[in-house]
Amino acid sequence: MVPTIDGKMHHFNNVGLYDALFVMQDTESKTLWNHISGEAVYGPLVGRTLGPIGNLLQTNVKQALEADPKTQVAISDRPYYVAGKQVGGTGGPPGPGGTRNNLSPEAQLQDFFVSTLGKEDTRRPRMDMGLGVWSDKTRRYYPVALIRERGRAFIDRIDEKSVVIYIDPETKNPAAMFVNASIAKVEANEVRLDNGAVVRSGILLDARGKPQASDRPQQIFTRRYGFALTFPGAEVVGQ
Amino acid sequence: MRIRPSFDGLVKVVLTVAAAGVLVPSAAFAQRENLPLDLPNGPAKPGFDIKRFSNAGNGWFKTFYVTETQPLRKALDDAKVAAETRVLVLSIAGGKLALLTDQMSFHHIAQGTASGKTWMATF
Repeated sequence: MVPTIDGKMHHFNNVGLYDALFVMQDTESKTLWNHISGEAVYGPLVGRTLGPIGNLLQTNVKQALEADPKTQVAISDRPYYVAGKQVGGTGGPPGPGGTRNNLSPEAQLQDFFVSTLGKEDTRRPRMDMGLGVWSDKTRRYYPVALIRERGRAFIDRIDEKSVVIYIDPETKNPAAMFVNASIAKVEANEVRLDNGAVVRSGILLDARGKPQASDRPQQIFTRRYGFALTFPGAEVVGQ
Repeated sequence: MRIRPSFDGLVKVVLTVAAAGVLVPSAAFAQRENLPLDLPNGPAKPGFDIKRFSNAGNGWFKTFYVTETQPLRKALDDAKVAAETRVLVLSIAGGKLALLTDQMSFHHIAQGTASGKTWMATF
């Protein structure tokens, strides 16, 4: 996202919940913002968007460096974990996420979250995990369970373009990447495409193993309710 | 408009980030206070119901204002991170930037400026 509005950088904080998702507020205008779509939802800047929205790829250090050896890192004063050990930081205890994020579909929302929910789409369970993909024309949710059922990789179409939907063999995160292929399958630690290319460590390699420029649709790995309430009526693949 | 803490039962709950800003309660507990919040008097985006907004979590988290970065390779060589350390990668002016997933589970928001262009990441 781009936090500049009318030429001035605004400063954002997490100030509460709506649809059981965190809500941002900028200190300059007090406007509330949706943190997924970047849209202003309440306040004087309604109608504005913090765009363009970029992808936030969930990966690990190894893959990040393989994709781009020049990648920079920003480390804050918060404690964090390296190989299971807490390191660094003077800014208080580790974040509540730590290394033990609860990704279970059996997780439950407590009442104070539920009270902020709007009318829910019941095509999938509230706490289902999946990959949400969106563009100007498309809003689509791929349940992780469905991606697994389809062999952990398959080809779909988004806005007339072929896209591979897959669960990364290394990080176990679902992801989407535009490709020129019609069949995809996971073998060993890579996604193999019928044009000879592979996706390995998040990088598209041609049949000779040479890295190729690749593009990804806008995407988010999320709970079902978060995507459904942000994009009402979005397609649910497999439903 | 000033929103006051509205859920008495909140003070002993810690939130866990499941994925990309979706919060679920964890088994851990901590004493927390939801700070009051100043809100304008609208307007609302069509469909947004301000009555469903809660200030739960206000004041619990701190935005990460990024003022300096270092090569990820050097951070790995210096054992500040490990190969399997989870990161969130975004494209900013001048290249790719990694943020530590553990730290973003607390901050939720990071923002900064690169080559004169502002950026913000939310998680």
